[in-house]
Amino acid sequence: MKRSTAVSMGSDGRTRASDQSLAIIQIRNCLLVSIQTELHDRLALDLQEALMERVRNADARGVILDVSAVEVIDSYITRILNDIGKSVRFMGAECYIVGIRPAVAMTLIEMGVELDSVHTALNLDLALERLELLQ
Amino acid sequence: MRTVEDAVGAVLSGAISAITQRSIFNRLGGLARTPVGQLGPVERQTVLKELESSLRLFARASSAELLAACERALSENSGPGAGTGAGTSAAGPASKAIHKVFAVDQEKDIATARLEAWSEAVRIGLSKFTAVKVATAVSELARNIVFYAGKGTVELRATEDERGPSLQIVATDIGPGIEPRKLEEIWAGTYKSQRGMGKGLLAVKKLVTDFHLDTGPGKGTTVTCVFRGDR
Repeated sequence: MKRSTAVSMGSDGRTRASDQSLAIIQIRNCLLVSIQTELHDRLALDLQEALMERVRNADARGVILDVSAVEVIDSYITRILNDIGKSVRFMGAECYIVGIRPAVAMTLIEMGVELDSVHTALNLDLALERLELLQ
Repeated sequence: MRTVEDAVGAVLSGAISAITQRSIFNRLGGLARTPVGQLGPVERQTVLKELESSLRLFARASSAELLAACERALSENSGPGAGTGAGTSAAGPASKAIHKVFAVDQEKDIATARLEAWSEAVRIGLSKFTAVKVATAVSELARNIVFYAGKGTVELRATEDERGPSLQIVATDIGPGIEPRKLEEIWAGTYKSQRGMGKGLLAVKKLVTDFHLDTGPGKGTTVTCVFRGDR
């Protein structure tokens, strides 16, 4: 099935993957990524790299990752999100995770893994509001 | 009579939300209400074609598997009496007793195993929250297999007793196994892995009702755990 194109990568896959399946959208001075696909090592690194580049070029104040479409967040995905949060913070911007589903939040709590390198907000609106207040 | 909607709905429940299913069935029009037994070969193809394009839009992973399952459901002759199920023993009334095994040897298998675990959990009547926990645990275990052992299997076994439904997960690999010293660190929560958090096993242990680990250098790793639904 065609589905594999989003995940499997060709020879020049590094940039294509992040362009294709994880678009980075700029809203004023915030960058928004809606995560709709399976995050794996390469995709996560691509995203991290692309985000840092864009933070620098766009003088972004914040990065918002929308995970409302993500049905399962395990410790590995948590690590990826924390890593992105840390790298964004090193650049001087703030990272917000928005739209964590209730069942996902419960599971993370029970598992005892921390999402401590990112901020969280209920939705995109609230994250933007808080980032706006930072100015 | 079992209609197309019943047959496909049974396959999709858990993987796709009820609202989305409705819109898929709306696209099928009258065909959705046709009994499976009365479906001609051409009509069956039409249904499958529609399903294929819908599933590609809505399902996040393993659309192919879902479609194959739909196809099987539609080629069954109508009525629950005509249960097929290759390999499963004559299920009788307790047809909830299932046993599925998935080979896990690459990252995309993690997503497949996870989705299957989730839909299985929903199907046997575990709560939505528990289903997410089941999927998360399977995700951790499958990831461990891919990261550390390269390949292995994840088995799902659903059973039901007077206390309610439960789902057993067995993740097996014949990888390097875990050294006792590393295991101590893992249980203490101090273990750090290169690639993940190093908390996968500990996290699974906290999520499940029953947990058993069998590992050692050279003998591979088997994790057996059980999720129990509460009634």
